[in-house]
Amino acid sequence: MLKLIREVLRVGEATISYPSKPVEVMPGFRGKPHHDPERCIACAACAIACPPNALTITTDLDQGVRTWSLFVGRCIYCGRCEEVCPTGAITLSQDFELAVADKQDLYDHADYKLAACRICGTYFAPVKEIEYVDALLQQSGLSDDYAANVRALLEICPACKRKNDVRKMVGLYQEKD
Amino acid sequence: MFGDNTTSNPMLAERSQYAIHQDPEIGQLKAALLKDIQRSVFVYRVDCGGCNGCEIEIFAALTPLFDVERFGIKVVSSPRHADVLVFTGSMTRSMRVPALRAYHAAPDPKICVAYGACGCSGGIFHDLYCVWGGADKVVPVDVYIPGCPPTPAATIYGFAMALGILSQKLKAVHHVQSENEHVLPRHPEIPLILRVEIEREARRMAGYWHGKRIAETFFGLIKGDSQPIEQTVRAYLEQEDDPRLTEIVTRLESIYHAYHGAR
Repeated sequence: MLKLIREVLRVGEATISYPSKPVEVMPGFRGKPHHDPERCIACAACAIACPPNALTITTDLDQGVRTWSLFVGRCIYCGRCEEVCPTGAITLSQDFELAVADKQDLYDHADYKLAACRICGTYFAPVKEIEYVDALLQQSGLSDDYAANVRALLEICPACKRKNDVRKMVGLYQEKD
Repeated sequence: MFGDNTTSNPMLAERSQYAIHQDPEIGQLKAALLKDIQRSVFVYRVDCGGCNGCEIEIFAALTPLFDVERFGIKVVSSPRHADVLVFTGSMTRSMRVPALRAYHAAPDPKICVAYGACGCSGGIFHDLYCVWGGADKVVPVDVYIPGCPPTPAATIYGFAMALGILSQKLKAVHHVQSENEHVLPRHPEIPLILRVEIEREARRMAGYWHGKRIAETFFGLIKGDSQPIEQTVRAYLEQEDDPRLTEIVTRLESIYHAYHGAR
């Protein structure tokens, strides 16, 4: 009996005192995805990568708004969104205290403005994404002429690009004749 | 509207109309229950088609390390004894009726907890043909504990919240793009081709998530030009003291030197 008591005293208490004291979270723990809305370019790479569709993107072409939304209740904390994010806007935080009473508190939303096409005026891509691509083109080491040509296409929607291409091709054929 | 499949998918929207609606009188009884329950909380676990990851974490919360019994939380084997019902799993078609039977068997007032990503919303299985998508499609839920699975600490936090001991930390966020929001590519001082090659190699060697983090740390190391990068990298590796990291970062360093040697 005395031996047992001595053993118990030697081993001490195993139980952690959470929640009265904060619990130690291991490095590399993947908690709630933290979204920095200022760094997000609304490119939707995360929404495509997200296996359970916890991250979704909805595009309202009439209002010119793209909404990024995260539903934490569906997230499986795989970190694919952090991997694919080109700007580092999403990082998996160490935050695990996510229980809520109201389901609406599990949603995060961010609205981004869309740019209108220079030719036809329809909304087609987020303003921030176009700026980002422009900056990336400047860094890419392409020749200035080529980069200028590509940059001119940034403000045009895919439909107008196709029309332009067709016009160019027809023009080339007519020159041949 | 915000891309929640439960509202956009007509099939799921139709299902949520079958959910039981709570009597307001029971709401008052529930407040009395929370006041009187103190340290005698009997929990019944209803597995509605989960993968058992959540069950493992619930039992991990019962182990001496986390020991939820110090709050009087006890898992019982019959819903007739239960104060709290924990619904795990994505609520499959064939587990819906057993879940309803467990709900009706538990005496009023009772607290219902949706546990895990599947219990909250159907999780990764949300769009399967045989999945109702979460406990709240069938029973009124008081507390949602997200996680895949929730860690034992998250479980304790969720139960403490259900019993009104701790308050909710998570709040909905709605950001609207303001003027002067511009994003530029990171590490503009490192050539784009080198950046791509280093990230690609780091991910190939370390896996997707760690690879990106290692590449980011490496960019941080080669940015400072106060001393040659060999010294910076060696100091970093000695500090980390991880042979796997040493292997990967040495490869990244050789790519860096190959790029600058070719120039």
